[in-house]
Amino acid sequence: MTDENTKADGGVADATHGADHHHDLPDPGHVKRWLVTTNHKDIGVLYTITALFFLVFGGVLALLMRLQLWTPGVSLLEPLQYNQAVSAHGLLMIFWFLSPFAFGFANYVVPLQIGAKDLAFPRLNALSYWLYLFSGILMGVSFFQGGTFSGGWTMYAPLNLPVYTPNIGASTAVLALTMFTASVTVGSVNFLTTMHRMRAEGLTLRRMPLFTWTILLTTWMMLFAFAALLAALMILSADRLLGTTYFSATGHAGSLLWAHLFWFFGHPEVYIVFFPALGVMAECFQTFTGRRLVGRKWFIAAMVLVALQSFLVWMHHMFLTSINLQIKTLFMATTIGISLPFDLMVFALIYTTVKGKVRFTTPFLFSFGALMLFILGGITGVFLGAVVLDYEFRGTYWVVAHFHYVMVGGVTALVGGLYYWYPKMTGKMYDEFLGKVHFALYFVGFNLLYFPMFVAWETPRRDFVYPEVFVGWHQVATVGGFVLGASFLVMFYNLFVSLWRGEEADDNPWQYSTTTEWAIPSPPPLENFPGKPTFRDGSLKFLPGAGSRTGGTGGSVADGGEFTVEEATDGGASVSQAADTHAADEPESHASIWPFAIGVASFVLLFGLSGLQNASFPSGIEGGFYAALTVGGLVGGLAALVAMATEEFHALTGPFGESWPFEGVENTKLGVWIFLASDVVLFGAFVGSYAFIRVAEGWTNWHHLIPEAHVPLPGLINTYILLTSSFTVVLALVAAEKGSRWGLVGSLATTFVLGMAFLVNKALEWLHLFHVHTEAFPQGWNIGTNIASSTFYLTTGLHGLHVIAGLIVTLYLLVRAWNGAYLDDDRPVEYFGLYWHFVDIVWLFLFPLFYIL
Amino acid sequence: MTRVKLYTAIYVVLFAFATAQVLVEQSGGLPYWTAFWAIIALSFVKALMVAWYYQHLKWEPRSVTFTMFVGLLAALALTTAAAYSIL
Repeated sequence: MTDENTKADGGVADATHGADHHHDLPDPGHVKRWLVTTNHKDIGVLYTITALFFLVFGGVLALLMRLQLWTPGVSLLEPLQYNQAVSAHGLLMIFWFLSPFAFGFANYVVPLQIGAKDLAFPRLNALSYWLYLFSGILMGVSFFQGGTFSGGWTMYAPLNLPVYTPNIGASTAVLALTMFTASVTVGSVNFLTTMHRMRAEGLTLRRMPLFTWTILLTTWMMLFAFAALLAALMILSADRLLGTTYFSATGHAGSLLWAHLFWFFGHPEVYIVFFPALGVMAECFQTFTGRRLVGRKWFIAAMVLVALQSFLVWMHHMFLTSINLQIKTLFMATTIGISLPFDLMVFALIYTTVKGKVRFTTPFLFSFGALMLFILGGITGVFLGAVVLDYEFRGTYWVVAHFHYVMVGGVTALVGGLYYWYPKMTGKMYDEFLGKVHFALYFVGFNLLYFPMFVAWETPRRDFVYPEVFVGWHQVATVGGFVLGASFLVMFYNLFVSLWRGEEADDNPWQYSTTTEWAIPSPPPLENFPGKPTFRDGSLKFLPGAGSRTGGTGGSVADGGEFTVEEATDGGASVSQAADTHAADEPESHASIWPFAIGVASFVLLFGLSGLQNASFPSGIEGGFYAALTVGGLVGGLAALVAMATEEFHALTGPFGESWPFEGVENTKLGVWIFLASDVVLFGAFVGSYAFIRVAEGWTNWHHLIPEAHVPLPGLINTYILLTSSFTVVLALVAAEKGSRWGLVGSLATTFVLGMAFLVNKALEWLHLFHVHTEAFPQGWNIGTNIASSTFYLTTGLHGLHVIAGLIVTLYLLVRAWNGAYLDDDRPVEYFGLYWHFVDIVWLFLFPLFYIL
Repeated sequence: MTRVKLYTAIYVVLFAFATAQVLVEQSGGLPYWTAFWAIIALSFVKALMVAWYYQHLKWEPRSVTFTMFVGLLAALALTTAAAYSIL
């Protein structure tokens, strides 16, 4: 392929990627391009660069800690500063670096591997990114509000409460993480819809490339695990900002509740972080051994098993708490059990190297190094899974060393992924020698840093005072930390300089790569493919159609399964010819400013809310500042949401061939259902929290916490109202199907009135309860009166917020229906109904739990 | 039965079940835990009816139901295992 050809099809090989001029996107040289882009490849690049920034941020904090540990007890940082560095390092690395780094690749590569031109919801993809970026900035801001959170990355109760971490910055850190969680949920819904609905013909799940498989399982885990974290963070935010008393609940219940919620998320998070790394390893092992992964289908089955089992091991993080011995024993068994599928995966990777012919390129070295590190990390983790050993190791550097071998082991593979896909993303080759220098420094630095922690394991975790006998080991670790840090300077230099001076990368610079991204130019054109990709015959072909007037054969790239001898590069010429004619008649949109605007507004809103304590802002200018931000963010966010809803934007709809198991469920509908599945876990965690605290209190010994004035009648009336509103929403859909404009308008208007009535009834009930005056509750029954009032107001309040969100949508639908919309396409009414009925269903459980039982 | 009639019949049943839940508690005739499980069971039946007919799960591929079921299972696992852990 010639340079001219490459440029003609938009795949400019100058690292600016996708400089086409036939669409609504500005040129990549303009900043505006990066603010409005919704293209998955652009978003992938943004994720990757932003994640690397947070690696440096978290890494600098780690180096400060290592300097502090050079001599025990000698302070470089003040004690509270050290605590902040420890906490922020963990939070930044796990949330703002690790997963987003993997999702940089996922954004870039997954649509290419499945033969899709973009994700199902491109604007939501951009929104995920902006929520991620601004949540990270909010985390940075927290350092300047009296100091950030200092209670450890696990945010254990009661350290997470204002009495121990009183800074406004600590609240900001919690809100930043909440915002990040929202980003993850939006992203999960998008990826799941895309991967299930938009695979090219013939690309069955069995044939799907392994990296995409790992992202599929990762996003399923994310969907459910992050919903539990969102519940935990919302409750924590309420405790910090509104004055609820969940985590300061009677006795040990509050602390245990946090641990349950956090680790129900936290253990799947280990695999959420590690699976994409495993995917990179599988791809690199296949490509650089020239051998299909041994036991591929068992490898996939093992990953599915781990993904399921990951939700059944969380209490091994709680062996030292007061949970009962029976449950500890059960969770010890499930924990030891989860190591078995990993054994299979490790052996599959090792055997693949034995059967193949290894080429020691930089991506392979990092992938192989990651395998070595993970084996050590995995084995040392089995110790912690045993109850009796955990009693000894808990809270020591054994834990620190173990999880760094696992987590940073994962980072090692992802760095390999960066080298592996760098030519595809930039169109340039990196310097191989410098890549190997990076690996050598990295591997030596890594082991110098973390292995001494096993030897000096009796060092107490999160403390900078330790026995003098370990000084030597800690000094070695500090040297290792700086070597590891320096290795990244080599990487940054290499990748940055290669952008300008690197050799041009072919479509497929790796000899035996087998996945679709290597059959198209480096970097790929905006529309990715020269025609409609199909794997119908077991190998990739581009069919005419889908905008392409000239069909082409993309060579041999298969599915990561059977290996073929033809080269992907030979398809390049036809790729570029076809793409040239193809993109001109493509209607898809690629630009919207509103995701960025919503990101900014969310940042402003949460920054404002961080000033709240006990449901009020501080007095004076400071309070006015926070209040103004809150109002501004709320109004701006709503305006941006409405603008995005009314904007004309054409996304791909699919299906394109393979949609198992969701054939016949249109993209948006599936997106709504998947979102609702995560909402089930969100509300489930709220209800679970209520049940847990009530069990701790004594289930039937609860009513003395509730005033007599709290009677079932208001709840029953609201149940009748919501059930009726569900009925009217169903009638609205029937009216739309029949083409009855006024039937539709009338039903939606009735729904709106009923929703308002629900809220008014609730407000009256709450006001009444706020002002009860009895002997037991002389100050009224407020949100912070006791744990019963906290659970009642917060859980039903969250439900009320869902009702308000539903009413805003109802109003939007009503205005459009008044103007004649939805008579020829009633899907928006149907999809809104899915949400509204879900809100109804939640109430069907809240009503008995909070009013009758 | 037309869809509208079906939806109306379900609405009536849901209304009646909600009332029944309060009556079970107010009557005081049943032991607490019997009443507890009866009330919870009624909630599950109501939720199932809304999901099955109003949300059209009955007419969707079973994979959608399965997805929601997995979410419910996760929520129940968290709730029951956490509560059991302190018994």
